[in-house]
Amino acid sequence: MLIRISGGRVVDPTAGRDGVGDVWIENGRVVAASERVPDRTIDASGCVVMAGGVEVHSHIAGGNVVMSRLLLPDLYASEAAPDGHPFAHAGGSAAWIGANYARMGYTIAVEPAMPPANALATHLELADIPLLDRGALTVMGNDDHLLQLLREREGKAAVRDLVALSVATSRGLGVKCINAGGASAFKDGMLKLSLDDEIPVYGLSTRKIMTALLDAVEEIGVPHPLHVHANNLGIPGADDSFVATMEAAEGRRIHFAHAQFYAYAVADAENPATGGFRSAAERITEAMEKHPNATYDVGQVAFGQTVTISLDILRQFAGRKGANPKKWILTAGDAEGGGIVPFVYKPRGAVSSLQWAIGLELMLLSKEPERTILTTDHPNGGPFTDYPHIIHLLMDKEERDREIAGLHKVIGERSGLCAIEREYSFSEIAQLTRSGPAKLLGLSDRGHLREGARADVAIYRDDKNRTAMFARAKMVLKDGDVIVEDGEIVNWRAGRTLELTVESDKAMVARSETYLQDRFGAGVSSFAVPDEAFPKADVFEDVACRA
Amino acid sequence: MAAWVKGGATDAGAAVDAAATLLAAARTPVVAGLCAELSAIRAAYHLADAIGASVDPVAGASLYAELGSLSRTGAMLTTPAEAIGRADTLLIVGNAPWDRSIVQEIAESVPSRGRAAGTERSILSLGGPRNGATRHVAYPAETGGLAISVAHLRAFLKGHLAGEAAYADLAKRLAAAQYGVVLYDPSELGELGVEMLQGMVKDLNEVTRFFALAVSDPFQGRALLQLAAWTTGQAPRVGFGRHVPEHDPWRFDSARQIAAGEVDAALWLASLPAPRPDWLATLPSIAIVGEGSPEAAGDVADIVIAVGVPGESTGGALWNERRSTITYTPPAGQPAELNAAGVIAAIQDRLVQMKGASC
Repeated sequence: MLIRISGGRVVDPTAGRDGVGDVWIENGRVVAASERVPDRTIDASGCVVMAGGVEVHSHIAGGNVVMSRLLLPDLYASEAAPDGHPFAHAGGSAAWIGANYARMGYTIAVEPAMPPANALATHLELADIPLLDRGALTVMGNDDHLLQLLREREGKAAVRDLVALSVATSRGLGVKCINAGGASAFKDGMLKLSLDDEIPVYGLSTRKIMTALLDAVEEIGVPHPLHVHANNLGIPGADDSFVATMEAAEGRRIHFAHAQFYAYAVADAENPATGGFRSAAERITEAMEKHPNATYDVGQVAFGQTVTISLDILRQFAGRKGANPKKWILTAGDAEGGGIVPFVYKPRGAVSSLQWAIGLELMLLSKEPERTILTTDHPNGGPFTDYPHIIHLLMDKEERDREIAGLHKVIGERSGLCAIEREYSFSEIAQLTRSGPAKLLGLSDRGHLREGARADVAIYRDDKNRTAMFARAKMVLKDGDVIVEDGEIVNWRAGRTLELTVESDKAMVARSETYLQDRFGAGVSSFAVPDEAFPKADVFEDVACRA
Repeated sequence: MAAWVKGGATDAGAAVDAAATLLAAARTPVVAGLCAELSAIRAAYHLADAIGASVDPVAGASLYAELGSLSRTGAMLTTPAEAIGRADTLLIVGNAPWDRSIVQEIAESVPSRGRAAGTERSILSLGGPRNGATRHVAYPAETGGLAISVAHLRAFLKGHLAGEAAYADLAKRLAAAQYGVVLYDPSELGELGVEMLQGMVKDLNEVTRFFALAVSDPFQGRALLQLAAWTTGQAPRVGFGRHVPEHDPWRFDSARQIAAGEVDAALWLASLPAPRPDWLATLPSIAIVGEGSPEAAGDVADIVIAVGVPGESTGGALWNERRSTITYTPPAGQPAELNAAGVIAAIQDRLVQMKGASC
């Protein structure tokens, strides 16, 4: 079917496009303007037309997300059922996640923390998220098998082969390390870990583990750079860890998760642990400009109750004291495990206000929004449903000032946010939420509207109230099918889970079989994610490695 | 394939039609059992939503002994592989865990990973068998039961109780662990006992690393728990009477509901072995059960449909206790003609057809 989206303001920064025009779609792809009469014309006059939004870091599936629902079952409200998907009204459910992303114009979301030991359950859950394409990053960096290889100095080829096998077996889209070595160190009694601290038993450091993974990811040709959750998240001086980690990459591609939680400089040098923090957004921005190999997602804070979910069990154990309400879960898992700590970001609280300001400051200082991805690290900084409001704040200085006026004065004292006049343009928003994250994931046919692009398109009514504009798209197309009209789901189609096509080395398969049998009483097949396990066919879609 | 309607053998299509007719006439049905492969449990939740049923798994009692405590205070947990590989101290609470293979596996090995690697492993028991085959130091339960015993042990650990009591000695041993694990059965320990135990584990982590490990129920409860959470955002016992999942473990306890006369039809799903409830034959009912099982008989329910048994005559995603996660188990033999997910979906499709025809 030939579709013409007509007369909208088409915003595609990858093509230098920001003006009224048409977008043509046929067979699920964007095509060149056609002389033929379209089968359907969508009137987009008065609207902004963008590629579908791309989410790179949102905790939407997996054992820890499940545990968070059980720990805090009242976090999301369930509403009376409308027609359509049976569970989309069930707050926090997989269907609710898919529906809420789609309403905002997002068409793909990536779960950033899939432990290989729990891959099947994670993928079964992802497959129940309707409407969106999905993906998951395979977490490595604390597993005994990898740490053994590194301790025994087995060489880059062995590490590469183990990483490739782990990604292939877990059907991941990329690789992530979370406080590399931190979970192992925590299990052995440590409560703090920095880049070069020795990890007990293995004689390794975060630097050694992370750089080995950086090399492996490059050698395999994983399109998405190593996704790094650095040491010392959320503590004063975390900016030192962030910059040191960036330098440790030594020019290799690296993506930093939730940078806002690291943009905390020590406020009082004489009392670093107790003197609180101030914004390090300028320092982080300068470091990013010096390191074009690096990208980050923001991890913006949104005010209100949330629940933090992280495989960084060392950090989550430390964070238990701040649990609100006072309950928390920590699992020492087969590699990382997970920590679930409820938390309230208080609008009148100094710490929360400063965190909120730092996230915005990072985005507003960035000269390259494509390397500065909008996330809330859902649900750690707040729910992804806050994106429209965050976009509003980025695009509207007046709105920002109004919000700041109701917050703690520390924002003016310890951050540079109040002095920033910048307002994001639609093109920059598209870079922040479309082209940037698509490039980061290596998905060349997403995040733009050039010929050949996947026909994932979001159409928004242009409204000065950007919150309203981006919260409920006028129309969303997924692979050319209309899935949202006037902010409501009209077609509950299923998306696909993207997996990296990667070969496994036979010798490493045999070696891993022995290792896993010894440790788990079950071999590689026990970690597999077979198609037969899924209630429906065609769940997965291949993504090729880089040449 | 075997199916029965009112005791008479029939084909699958007729049984599905009869099941749909039975459910269409029900106002307050219950979907229970759910001891099955994950795809079947998934289909059951979808059916329950469609017909406004409540859902209650046979694993409910065990699950809720954990879940109440979990949602009130949280937990510190570990996995079987970590317990086997790292624990230098294992405390076994109660009698129930002793039947599990993990006890033997831990008893026959030494820690191989982490700071305790190579050290001798200490196995302790609280309220367990005194003369078991496994060498261990046994501490008897107090007269008040396991939960009270755990409370007293915790008090010694916290310094709220002092003296030369046996529990003081046990408390010292626990605090001296480098990586301690406490193994227990939630259904034996009870909800308050679990909460006290988790509190004790959290206290221990102020000085060392110590984690809890619950033995799994044998009815796929842990796999179901995950699916329930991602499907409804809630724990398993929910009602869809108002077409929104309402979680209420007391209200949607199927045995209570049926005893109170609140239910007018039931669908029992057990493609894996599960104890058949007494109430099944007391109300209009459908049983979807594993082929070759004792329940695959015409007198078990009004409508009985025999389906593939996961791991035997059909594949399925199942709870793997040793791995502490969901894994896929292929069929070991000839695949069955029907699987539970397909049958439930067919019943739902038939209900939709009937609803369409009546408009």
